[in-house]
Amino acid sequence: VSFARLANFLSFLFLLMSFLLIVRNSLAAQVRMFAVQSGVLAVLAAVVAYFGARWELFSVALVIAIIKVIVIPSVLTRAVSKIGIQRAVAPYLGASAALGICALLVVVAFYAMAPVTSSNRLPTADGIPLAFAGVLIGLFTTVNRRRALTQILGFLMLENSIFMVALLATYGVPLIVEMGVFLDVLVAVLILEVFVYRIKENFDSIDVKQMGALRG
Amino acid sequence: MILILLLSIPALASALISRCRKREMAEGIHLSASILSLVTAGVVAAWIWSGQAVIQLSLLRADALSAFMAAIITFVGAIAGIYAVGYMRLESDKSPFPRVRLFYTLFQLFVFTMLLAVTTDNLGLMWVAIEGTTLATVFLVNFHDTHTGLEAAYKYLMISSVGIALAFMGTVLVYYAAATEVGEIGLSWTALIAIAARLDPNVVKLAFLFILIGYGTKAGLAPMHTWLPDAHSEAPAPISALMSGVLLNVGFYALIRFKAVTDISVGPAFSSTWLMRFGLLSLGLAAAFLVSQRNYKRMLAYSSVEHTGIVALGLGFGGYWGIVGALLHMLNHALSKSMLFILSGSILLKYRTTEIRGIRGLLKAAPWTGAAFLCGIIALLGLPPFGLFMSEFMIFRAGFETQSAAYPVTGIALIALAFAGMLGSVNSMLYGRPSGELDSGDPLRWPIAPVALNVILLAGLGLTFPDAVRTFFDQVLKVVGMPL
Repeated sequence: VSFARLANFLSFLFLLMSFLLIVRNSLAAQVRMFAVQSGVLAVLAAVVAYFGARWELFSVALVIAIIKVIVIPSVLTRAVSKIGIQRAVAPYLGASAALGICALLVVVAFYAMAPVTSSNRLPTADGIPLAFAGVLIGLFTTVNRRRALTQILGFLMLENSIFMVALLATYGVPLIVEMGVFLDVLVAVLILEVFVYRIKENFDSIDVKQMGALRG
Repeated sequence: MILILLLSIPALASALISRCRKREMAEGIHLSASILSLVTAGVVAAWIWSGQAVIQLSLLRADALSAFMAAIITFVGAIAGIYAVGYMRLESDKSPFPRVRLFYTLFQLFVFTMLLAVTTDNLGLMWVAIEGTTLATVFLVNFHDTHTGLEAAYKYLMISSVGIALAFMGTVLVYYAAATEVGEIGLSWTALIAIAARLDPNVVKLAFLFILIGYGTKAGLAPMHTWLPDAHSEAPAPISALMSGVLLNVGFYALIRFKAVTDISVGPAFSSTWLMRFGLLSLGLAAAFLVSQRNYKRMLAYSSVEHTGIVALGLGFGGYWGIVGALLHMLNHALSKSMLFILSGSILLKYRTTEIRGIRGLLKAAPWTGAAFLCGIIALLGLPPFGLFMSEFMIFRAGFETQSAAYPVTGIALIALAFAGMLGSVNSMLYGRPSGELDSGDPLRWPIAPVALNVILLAGLGLTFPDAVRTFFDQVLKVVGMPL
């Protein structure tokens, strides 16, 4: 199997998970989509480490696997079962409209990333627009969804996609920065989890539309 | 070495306070750390001012711009820190000690993350530190544990995290552009500046837009400002003072660093156009909300959006006076807004309401608080003899020199609108007769004494522009690649 093909295939799988997050309605399934996507990211890190001879990326792959495939999904799953809400409420835009927009975002991503892909000589370059589409879709999901938990997942997928772009475009950012970012993301998720509980307690819902006292 | 000292004071203080068992102990550590940080930052600034251009120790690096920021952070940190002790004694006297301890722990952690952001050479680490500022403050925003506090904190964390994730995207793009040239050290700002002329301009342009939106969210630029009025009005007063006074400036600090690289790579017109657009939009939105504002803490918060817009305009106008004006405006706004938020805490403690309508006769009911509030408001409105008048004058002078008149004229018109909106509200708060059941006197006396320093500095910066200050600003300008 060639490196370039493998990277392409993984980028495709990665983006597929972003799309699936939009169509799935059960919160538990959405968390699984995120875990699978993180798994793909970890595998890609290991693939780049092996083929690109960047050995420090093996440790990055390991950290991704631990934090984003195991720890964060289990934290979120626990939150889902604790708050006792299984289904995501209707987003602002329905699934078919959202899919249409996301397809459009993929096209935008190809245009926006043209300066990066055209000058990039790495074998992984073809996957960059797909990963960047993940950034845009993650952003869209956080804006479009009303459940606090799904917003968090949109944010996490956004974060994943940026890592993906970094891996594909430059074989990742320096190790110290990656570790710092992982730490920040982990802390952010833990804090957000606390907020999900408090929002549920205070508003008896995790529909962020319920919170509308602060205006003007 | 001194940089390690500067960072370890708040870091150690935060760790120590979290282990404290007595309230006095926590207060003591908090106060001494706040003062010591200020002294250390003063030493750093003095060294750099007296000729040593850069202090560097592996990933840590301080030049004139860093020293300028560190001085603002620690100064406001000290003023707000002293006030915090008085405020917490009065406000949370009966709340359990662990909550008070958490407050001081996070306060010092917040100062630490801001100082780290401005003293590192690595743009990735700077990102980590700036995201850290959000994480350190989010529980402080919700400190009063109310419905609205929760809403504000959730919004703050979500919007800031998403915004700053976009800044990380921009950072990755810059790193990509640089790594093809210099490899691993491509995230070092010094390395980036050195090779900026060789970076791929198209990638740099794309990166700058992400950076502007991302760090612009932290700086409070519209339309990414929506978290700001909520978070700044819900947080306890000393924290609002730090968030409005200096955290917004840290967002600008990051923007200035990337702007310097972008300007070398693609020419100054690109970043300048976008900064002016966001600047005017912020001014316009803020003015609209200031006219009809009913809550005085939110009024101060929207005024921060207004001044963020003015700073963005100054950076966008460019030229010597544009940049000096913007930097000076950051300082002036930090001094006046931190002071006003501190006083807003006292007003809240006195009247127990955040509604403008509920405040009457402040000058009579709480003379010291009222007088200081009046000074702060005059400064904030950009009236002489205070510093904001000077810096706004510099910025718009630059605007007429470097841009078509439409930009500065629109800017001035919007400032006038905001001015009118705020004046009406403040007038009704300060004058008139306080309601009968209110006993006269300031709720807190010694804790607000240090704001006298803010007033003196604001007046000093308004009446003079001493050579010593000017030399320092010239050094900052040299750092960001401005030909003198």
